[in-house]
Amino acid sequence: MTKPSTFRGGTHPPGHKDLSSGSPIVRLPAPEVVTVPLCQHLGAPSKPVVTKGDRVVRGQEIGAQNGFISLPTHSPVNGTVKDIKDLPMPHRRSGPAVVIETESEDGGCVFEPWSDHASHSPAEIIDRIKQAGVCGMGGASFPTYVKLSPPPDKTIDTLIINGVECEPYLTADHRLMLENPSDMILGMEMLAYALGVERCMIGIEVNKPDAIELLESMGVSVVPLKVSYPQGAEKQLIDATVGREVPAGGLPMDVGVVVQNVGTAAAVACAVRDGMPSMRRIVTVTGLGVASPGNFEACVGTPFSDLIEAAGGYSGDVERLISGGPMMGMALFTDGVPVTKGTSGVLALEPGEVREVSEGPCIRCGKCVDVCPIRLTPSIIATAAEYERWTIARDFGALNCMACGTCSYVCPSGRYLVHYIKRAQDAIRAMGTGKEA
Amino acid sequence: MAQTRRFELAISPHVGSPQTTRKIMFDVVIALLPALAAATWFFGPGALLLVALSTATAVGVEYICLKFMKRPVSFAFDGSAVVTGILLAYNVPPGVPWWLPVLGSAFAIAVGKQAFGGLGHNIVNPALLGRAFLMASFPILMTAGWAAPESWRTGEDCGWDTNAIVQEELAILPGADAISGATPLNVLKQTFDLDESSRTALAEGETEVAAELEARAVSTRSALSSSGTYANLFLGRRGGCIGETSVLLLLIGAVYLFARGVLEPRLPLSYLGAVAVFAWIFGGSGWFDGDPLFHVLAGGVVLGGFFMVSDMVTTPVTPKGRIIFGIGAGLITMIIRRWGGYPEGCSYSILLMNLVTPLIDRFTKPKVFGEVKSNG
Ligand code: SF4
Ligand code: SF4
Repeated sequence: MTKPSTFRGGTHPPGHKDLSSGSPIVRLPAPEVVTVPLCQHLGAPSKPVVTKGDRVVRGQEIGAQNGFISLPTHSPVNGTVKDIKDLPMPHRRSGPAVVIETESEDGGCVFEPWSDHASHSPAEIIDRIKQAGVCGMGGASFPTYVKLSPPPDKTIDTLIINGVECEPYLTADHRLMLENPSDMILGMEMLAYALGVERCMIGIEVNKPDAIELLESMGVSVVPLKVSYPQGAEKQLIDATVGREVPAGGLPMDVGVVVQNVGTAAAVACAVRDGMPSMRRIVTVTGLGVASPGNFEACVGTPFSDLIEAAGGYSGDVERLISGGPMMGMALFTDGVPVTKGTSGVLALEPGEVREVSEGPCIRCGKCVDVCPIRLTPSIIATAAEYERWTIARDFGALNCMACGTCSYVCPSGRYLVHYIKRAQDAIRAMGTGKEA
Repeated sequence: MAQTRRFELAISPHVGSPQTTRKIMFDVVIALLPALAAATWFFGPGALLLVALSTATAVGVEYICLKFMKRPVSFAFDGSAVVTGILLAYNVPPGVPWWLPVLGSAFAIAVGKQAFGGLGHNIVNPALLGRAFLMASFPILMTAGWAAPESWRTGEDCGWDTNAIVQEELAILPGADAISGATPLNVLKQTFDLDESSRTALAEGETEVAAELEARAVSTRSALSSSGTYANLFLGRRGGCIGETSVLLLLIGAVYLFARGVLEPRLPLSYLGAVAVFAWIFGGSGWFDGDPLFHVLAGGVVLGGFFMVSDMVTTPVTPKGRIIFGIGAGLITMIIRRWGGYPEGCSYSILLMNLVTPLIDRFTKPKVFGEVKSNG
């Protein structure tokens, strides 16, 4: 094998993936009560179209798309709407959700199954992906159909499937590639068809040799990537796989590329071939704080506490509960929050796994500068932010920060660099003078 | 449904690299220890005592300052004061009275560091500021306290052959015999003075005297550029400041730092490289006839390059800025050595570059990912 590709910068946190990478995906039945968030995707929450007391069937639209960057939401079960209200969420403090009492979990094929997607037009495929509520399943939850509808002046020539899974601990995408490669490949073909591109490839870090081998044997063009965080960040992945640098402040489509996560590809296959809305996803439940870490396929709206129970319950002293990976995931104050389409992992970490925080002054060691994949100068931006010198923060490119956390990870002084930089971003945007490049 | 549990909130990322400021500082201390062994071997237990006193003073003064300013006193034990204390002592001659490094160390911490707001906020290297303070206040002590290597054990005034030759060569200069165990750079500086006297003599028509003076300068320089001198400098058998003696043991410390991921190679390498190049260009009597090896081995550039040019707090954070800093400090070092008022320019060059570090950072801001192509 040739030397795996990579991007400039980055770091290599311990993976801890072996905790769960050997556990096959276990399908969990729907819980007695599902709490279906209406804000699972990035953008405007969908508008509820059911009311308390309504009977709903599986796959039924319970929230309507509300704007361009928005998606419809579907009920993952047959049952009765108990309530519609704001509840704690894993990816934000709280958000609107439909609480449904489950009766059963069958049916759900609300759209016509299309066994041969090529007999439908790309526009029809894209519309189906929208109707099915598919959004990016790698973490950012951006509506997939939007990425498939570039403005006419952009020509897309490459589709990259993101199988990197560079966040430590997470193994959901890895297991999906091993256990259901055919759905993923079908979804990839559909996405390529919808975009009208010939060239598609999948980027996988070399710490998943079994997945690389399997997909290569199935005829997929795989780009093996060096294990380095954040290899799976869109711009870094594009740089590593096709050597194109997305302009600062620009989008992948500016260099003719669309990136989709492996889980998204599989969801696309279900939506088009089976007529199934996006209602389930694979979640890695792991960390030393759970008894038997594993990968679970759960329907959206399943409370995290159920997932923890499925993984054998808490073991020992749990210092922190996280939705997502340890680098960019959100700390939760309760395990009562529901799974969303973007929930890639639930981490219960013991005190020894979590970074001890005692923030010190910046000793200007420059490590953050060396690792920043965007080539920012986090130390200077953060110090400027501390003293509210927003123009300095802006001049050093604060707006380009993607909050990957690599700088904070390496900082020997434990500085909350991402936090300061986000503050600077808010302030710069509020100033209204933020030039984007 | 399982009982819900409550947890603490925190900001991402939730994991962090095991490296901490304290570990970095203690790695630097460990890396400085081999040179301390050399100092003790060549200059005797007195040198060890000076280092110990200086270090204890640094930590003590830091503690008092923090207490006084009502800041967490735990900072006194983060290792950075220890590093400053050791470096201050490393930068004074071995023959100075005990209170000199104590005073310098106290000044370094109180004025060079805490007055600026403590670790991370100081503009210049505290140890070097402390040394500059001593140089300004006690110039005689700071330039006359040289000891001949190993003289404390052998009882001989000078255990260094090359030095003896040089002594002889220099005997002609008024007051030159007062130099006891002078540093090799002192000797080099004297040869430049010889050049100067020779030229004056020539101008006055005293051709013979001029030729003799010039011959002495040349033969002294060739003695300095001999393999014997190189070996002595490399091993540490030379006059000089406490910490700068043994290049070999300093390098061992540097390799350790590098292996621990603490030493960023751009700064020291660009500095030492610049010293070598500029030494060749103008470090000799004429142009392009200097001895780069001698200039790198002599004086404090190895100590300075790996432990003071590489000081994180007072040097640029940008990759390009680090190279500029190293080259700038190397240039100033050589200018001082050749034309300045002191034989050694290492520490002043670093101090001067420290002052422009914020400027360098601003002007070497790296190109943001995607900036190059978007503008093209
Ligand atoms: S969080 Fe921002 S500044 Fe820090 S490494 Fe990532 S992109 Fe760079
Ligand atoms: S890694 Fe931390 S201590 Fe080092 S320069 Fe960056 S912010 Fe400062």
